[in-house]
Amino acid sequence: MTAQVMDAGMRTAVPPAGEARRVFVIDDDDIMLVSCRRILEKAGYEVETFSHGAEGIRRIPEAPPQLLLVDLKMPELDGLQVIERVREIDEDVVIAVITGYATISTAVDAMKAGAYDFLPKPFTPDELRLIVNRGCERWRLAMESKRLRREKEEAERRFVTFVSHQLKSPLVAAKQYLDVLLYTHKGELSPRTSEWLVRAQVRLGEMLNLIQDWLALARIERGTVCDRTATTDLPGIVRQAVDAVAPQAEAAGVTVEVEIAPSLPLLGGDEASLATIVTNLVSNAVKYNRVGGRVTIRAAAEGTMALLEVVDTGIGIPDQAIPHLFEEFYRVRTDQTRHIAGTGLGLAICKRIAHDLGGSIEVASRVGEGTRFAVRIPLAATAAGGGVRA
Amino acid sequence: MSEPKSVLIIDDDPDFVHAVGELLASSGYQVSTASNGREGLDLAKRLQPDLILLDVMMSERTEGFFTLEQIRDVPALAETPVIVISSIYSDHPVFKVSPEAGWLPASLFLPKPVDPARLIAESARLIAASAATGAHVPQAGSSGR
Repeated sequence: MTAQVMDAGMRTAVPPAGEARRVFVIDDDDIMLVSCRRILEKAGYEVETFSHGAEGIRRIPEAPPQLLLVDLKMPELDGLQVIERVREIDEDVVIAVITGYATISTAVDAMKAGAYDFLPKPFTPDELRLIVNRGCERWRLAMESKRLRREKEEAERRFVTFVSHQLKSPLVAAKQYLDVLLYTHKGELSPRTSEWLVRAQVRLGEMLNLIQDWLALARIERGTVCDRTATTDLPGIVRQAVDAVAPQAEAAGVTVEVEIAPSLPLLGGDEASLATIVTNLVSNAVKYNRVGGRVTIRAAAEGTMALLEVVDTGIGIPDQAIPHLFEEFYRVRTDQTRHIAGTGLGLAICKRIAHDLGGSIEVASRVGEGTRFAVRIPLAATAAGGGVRA
Repeated sequence: MSEPKSVLIIDDDPDFVHAVGELLASSGYQVSTASNGREGLDLAKRLQPDLILLDVMMSERTEGFFTLEQIRDVPALAETPVIVISSIYSDHPVFKVSPEAGWLPASLFLPKPVDPARLIAESARLIAASAATGAHVPQAGSSGR
């Protein structure tokens, strides 16, 4: 929503090209500090030296360096502890450890703790410059790829917003005219005019739904929609979905039944994402049903998962269509589905959400008998370690 | 209703304004329109309408949200019912804004395109409620200012 703020944040994260390369050296040996400073300053680096780990760590947030050289063997805070603390406050700074031959195995530990390189003592000025150059280059590349990643995300986000507004505005305006016209002039239009306007209204509505679904999918794929840490009460969502689909169900002569285990714990996942799954499946079950048909929505705990089933007594799905069912824009094309409106994205969205929430979706169907969708979503983890009461 | 009630529509899409303006006029409302937030705020101060319809995504992206805050900052408009009409509610599953959410001092949110019957019914309801209490029921979101 706030593009300007994000842009500003991005710029501060990456210093302008040509900024001085800053290096911190932490070592309890003063001679070491002096020689490192001399060698590196001559090579064009801005150097700060510290004989205690704590001093160096304090200084990092004030003037973050690209590279930190730290001696592993120091009396108070040793090198490993310094690395761990630095990693907590600055994930970007590249760390190289200085170590005596005897402590090569500690150097390995240091690498594991987040150090990038190590410099065995004693070292020559060339070896020091090599390590420092390599470390600073590493920092630059990391920053560069971070920046590119953010730019790409931002461009995608802007694109989605742009598409949303630019594609939808004309459709919204056109449909709004028809909606108002059909409402205000209901009795005055000839049957033919009225019918054609309604057709146009319906088609525009379908186009808007398509854009909406496509945008929803784009957002889900960017990972900004599904929230595993949220918790949701399934019965409430099912009730809303059933209410929403009631007019269509009644018109189609389809009865909708709900059987939810009263003990069903909360589900892990945000309400909007879970509602999208339930709404899509229930609406499909009504749409692809038959007069006098039935839709049954069942939910119960199954181990650490909630199993949600949406079963219909509808037209069923041909075997050859099943493998493609969850593909984007795929629609089952038969004589029976020809007149049923749909975007071909609903199930792709359901699958994506189910996966993002750590669950799954599957389908079984028999032509002429009906279809059963089974969705598994992890139950919310509770303090009692629960969710497991099945 | 003895004298005609007035509605101000703030939206940058002239066709949307035209269609919804005609709808409200045909239901007996006196309609004024503004095509951006600034113009809308000025007009709202001057006309003190009985109801405001407000779009969100105008030229300045989320302009409508800021316009709404500015409207609420005007004492004479602090209690005027505002219906936010936007397509962002229909295409953003997570962007679930409702008056109960409490952070936007709107009276009601409706998806765009708006259902004519619903808009007419809600407009009448909100205006009647605000006239009856002498004040529109303040939302949780507006209490902090």
